[in-house]
Amino acid sequence: MIEVVVMIIAILGCILAILQRDLLKVAILTGINGACVAFLFQFLLAPDVALTQAIVGTAIVPVFLAMAIYKTQRMDDK
Amino acid sequence: MNEFIPLMVIIPIACALLLNLFHKKDKTVILMGIIVAIVLPIIPLIANYGLHYFGGHAPLITNSTLLSTLPSTIQNSALALFHPAVTYSYGALQKIFIFILGIIAFFAIFNSLSQNKKVSGPLMFLMFMGTAAVTAILLSDDIFHMYIFFEISALTQTGIILTSKTENNYETALKYMILGSIGGPLLLLGIGFVLGAVGSVNITDIVYAISHNLVDPLSPTLLFAFGLIFFGWLYTSGLPPFHTIKSGVYSKALPNASVLLQAFTVIIFIAIGIAIFRIFSYLPFFKTLIVVFSLIAMVLGVTMAIMQTDFRRMIAFLAVGELGYIGLGFGLATKLSITAGLFQAVNELVITALLFIGFGTILYLTKISDTRKLGGMIQHNSIVAIMVLIGGFAMAGVPPLNGFQSKLMIIQASLQSGFPEISIIAILVSIVTFMVFMKAYHSIYLKPKPNDLVGADKLVPRSSIAAIAILLIICIVLGLFPHLVTDNISQFAMGLI
Amino acid sequence: MTDILLILGDTQLMSLFTAAAFIVVGLFAAIFLDNIIKKIIGIAFIEEGANLFIVALGYKAGGVVPIFLPGMSADWFAANSAYPLPQALVLTSIVIGASTLAVMLAISMVLYKKYGTLSASEILGDKKTQTLAEKNAGDNNE
Repeated sequence: MIEVVVMIIAILGCILAILQRDLLKVAILTGINGACVAFLFQFLLAPDVALTQAIVGTAIVPVFLAMAIYKTQRMDDK
Repeated sequence: MNEFIPLMVIIPIACALLLNLFHKKDKTVILMGIIVAIVLPIIPLIANYGLHYFGGHAPLITNSTLLSTLPSTIQNSALALFHPAVTYSYGALQKIFIFILGIIAFFAIFNSLSQNKKVSGPLMFLMFMGTAAVTAILLSDDIFHMYIFFEISALTQTGIILTSKTENNYETALKYMILGSIGGPLLLLGIGFVLGAVGSVNITDIVYAISHNLVDPLSPTLLFAFGLIFFGWLYTSGLPPFHTIKSGVYSKALPNASVLLQAFTVIIFIAIGIAIFRIFSYLPFFKTLIVVFSLIAMVLGVTMAIMQTDFRRMIAFLAVGELGYIGLGFGLATKLSITAGLFQAVNELVITALLFIGFGTILYLTKISDTRKLGGMIQHNSIVAIMVLIGGFAMAGVPPLNGFQSKLMIIQASLQSGFPEISIIAILVSIVTFMVFMKAYHSIYLKPKPNDLVGADKLVPRSSIAAIAILLIICIVLGLFPHLVTDNISQFAMGLI
Repeated sequence: MTDILLILGDTQLMSLFTAAAFIVVGLFAAIFLDNIIKKIIGIAFIEEGANLFIVALGYKAGGVVPIFLPGMSADWFAANSAYPLPQALVLTSIVIGASTLAVMLAISMVLYKKYGTLSASEILGDKKTQTLAEKNAGDNNE
């Protein structure tokens, strides 16, 4: 049943991410989402994909986003 | 030699990576760029037809000693026929298109080497990388491999727009990327559906599985996969609803680079089009769908071209409209129509390259692309003006040029398959194409020169004149002897049906 | 009640549902939200959904990781391992997704310097045709 919990966290994370006004929080939520997907890959018997996704989804993508937000603006205008 | 087949992709990639190592040694860069650009059209001529399996993993059926050691469930099933490796297939069609792409890439690279002061840099890298990517798409028999190079070519096209310092190029690039990043994953999803239904991503295997009823051909999975892959195809080829962004992409790049961009588009269009045709042509609504989208593309392309004032956008919309003719060839799905469509693709590659380079000289001389501010350019260099005029005639389909031959074949094909309406629309569109081209030509070359038009004291670069002349010779030769190309293509089209 | 438990227990089916949810949320964000960074995040979700979908295709309930260890018989391995081809494909597409995201973020940073805003309607919205093309993109997907 743990995979169902992970899936629910992942979906909640991605819905919350697009509802946030604070873009830095969005970046962090994207990281959580990426980590959940990496767990799911492990459950789906794909450990090598899980490794890649763990690095790309939880570290590289949020860092890219955070750097872009640092160079632009933190709050969504609306 | 079959070993040449992967070299067609490897050489440009290696050149793209190595060129920038020699930054500031301009002579080395120019020498290397030109040598590779000359080699590109030569390799397809000396390579033999055949298949190339990466890693040497041929299908099990060809290796009987290995097959006999495997369990009988594998020996007796279709698995023994499936291709485990990424497969490149090189045939008559690939030969023609890679040769023409090589020639166009040579002129694009040669012109930008001789007209730019900075010879190394991102533009050269992207040009070689894009050439390699579309060559791989054309050669590949593996639908996922196509997706990878599809994404690489989308990235290189964006990069080519970014390197030109035209107005609003970043906005166009971002739009193209956002639409592309929606189209790309949806294409991947479609490939995923096919993979889920068949269990292989090799096109030959998929066709085998569908034609031998190993999977239900009309299952919702395959229909959904068709929808998604078709959507990705529309995006990459700039058929409606993406015609506006595609023409924006052409017009934001430098003229020498737009030559390559349109070549990439046409080749990806036919490569993925052939893949879709091979896999899904059994669907009852397949032909209608492609014919409808092609007709919309033709009509929208020319009508939007009339309204433009920027000549780069005019040619860009005309180029999108011409794609519709190729699509018609696929949609009518007879041997003659496919031959005609692919022949039209060859012609469009050459003619649009000619027009982009030809009108590019105007931009080089005056830095103006607005037709309302231009005029009287025929006095400046009448030879170029006349050659561009003949190129425009070729695009509109004036005999005896190559555009006429291919359009005539398409009209014959549509009459043969019992759709005179399509041939009427095709003729009308080609008349409007002629009109649009003459409007642009008149306002640039023929009407009196505006008083405030300055510049034009430079000479047209000789490399451009040479490129236009040679492309024009190809147009005339293909117009007089169309069987040089159509023989090979009809051989391929027979295998396709 | 038992039906729900059966569905919840089916990891493959649930993963496919999750992938579908990602794609729907991502498409919504990419098409309807105004902020460019959020559009880009939406695109990242679509890519993640597609990857999850393809990996879930190769899953085998009660199977083993597709690594052939010494001591396994080929017949048993063929009958019990997950399908490795989708996994190999997804490895590539994850990297492609990350690089596309990086390029888009870089372009949006340049555009922010020029316009001082991240609003897509202000940066890209000078032409009606663009919104039309995006709308059509949305219609075709559903």
